[in-house]
Amino acid sequence: MTDTSMLVKKLPNDFGGTGAHEPVPMAVHDLLPWEKRCHALLDVLDFHKIVNTEEKRRGTEEIGTEMAAKLTYYEKWIVSASNCLLQKGILTPDEIGRKHKEVSLRLGVPV
Amino acid sequence: MTTEHAHDHSAHAAIENDELPGYYEILEMSVRELLIERELITADEVRHQIEVLDSRSPALGSRLVARAWIDPTFKARLLQSGNTAAEEMGISIYDDTTLTVLENTESVHNLIVCTLCSCYPRPILGLPPDWYKSKPYRSRAVREPRAVLEEFGTKIGDNVEVRVNDSTSNLRYLVLPLRPSGTEHLTEEQLAKLVTRDTMIGVTVPKA
Repeated sequence: MTDTSMLVKKLPNDFGGTGAHEPVPMAVHDLLPWEKRCHALLDVLDFHKIVNTEEKRRGTEEIGTEMAAKLTYYEKWIVSASNCLLQKGILTPDEIGRKHKEVSLRLGVPV
Repeated sequence: MTTEHAHDHSAHAAIENDELPGYYEILEMSVRELLIERELITADEVRHQIEVLDSRSPALGSRLVARAWIDPTFKARLLQSGNTAAEEMGISIYDDTTLTVLENTESVHNLIVCTLCSCYPRPILGLPPDWYKSKPYRSRAVREPRAVLEEFGTKIGDNVEVRVNDSTSNLRYLVLPLRPSGTEHLTEEQLAKLVTRDTMIGVTVPKA
C-alpha cells in the first residue's frame, strides 16, 4: 500500500526540513507599488480581524500546489485574502467579478 | 532646460510600472474598493498603513541592540519583553504580535526562520528580504543551519550551539547579537551602525 501519511503530515506550505539542496537565492527586489498597497491592505484586514494573518496563511495552503508554485508572493496573498472574504460571505464572486471588470475598464485594460 | 538643471529626469523613475496593471493588481484594487464601499475599512487606513510600513527599517532594531549593549538594565527588559522595551524606545508593535528577543552568547548562536510562511519582526526590521521568504531558506534553515549560514559567509564554531527559532503568526523573534570585541570605546550611535538587518536575523554576526 502506498504510504500517504506524508501528505497529511506535510501540508503544501510546510517546508521545514524538506531539505531540497537548492542554494538560498540572494537576489532581492524592491516591492512594486501594488505589492506595498497589497501588504498594507492585508494588514488593515488583520487589524479589523476581517481576515487575520493565520487565516490568510492557511488560505495560501488551500490554493493548490500548482498555484502555490506559479504565483508570486503577493499574488498568493491577495488570492488567499479574496478567498477568505468569499468563504466568510463578506464578498461574493459576482461582486468581485463586476468590480474587476469596472476597474479594468477604468484603467484601459482589455477585458 | 537651463544648464543648472540639465539632467535627465527619466533616470529618477526608480520603481515605476509602465505596463498596464495585471490581473492580481486589479484584484487587489477591486477588493480594496469593495471593502471601502462597504465601510468595513477606509482608504485612509490603508494609506496610513503604507506610511507605517515605510517608517520601519532595520535601523530601529539596530537602536534596540546598541542600547542593550550599553545598558544592562535595558537589556534585561528587552529579553524579558521585547514589546515593552520596543515601546519604551518609541517603536510601536503595530501588528499585535509578541516580540521575543533571543540573546546570542559565547555558547549559543540564534537564527530565525518561518518555515510555514514569512513571519518576521516587521515593526522592528521592516519587510523581510526575499530570501527569507524563499523555499530553500525555509526548508533548509531547520535541517542544515550551518550549511545555510555558510552560504551567507558565516562560520559558527563547532563549540557553539546553533539554535534555530521558527516564528509564527503571533510570535516573532529578533536576535540580539554578541557585541564584537574591540568596540568598548564606541558610542551608542557608532555601535548601532555595526548592527545590520542580517545580524538580527542571525545569518551573520556584527563585525567591529
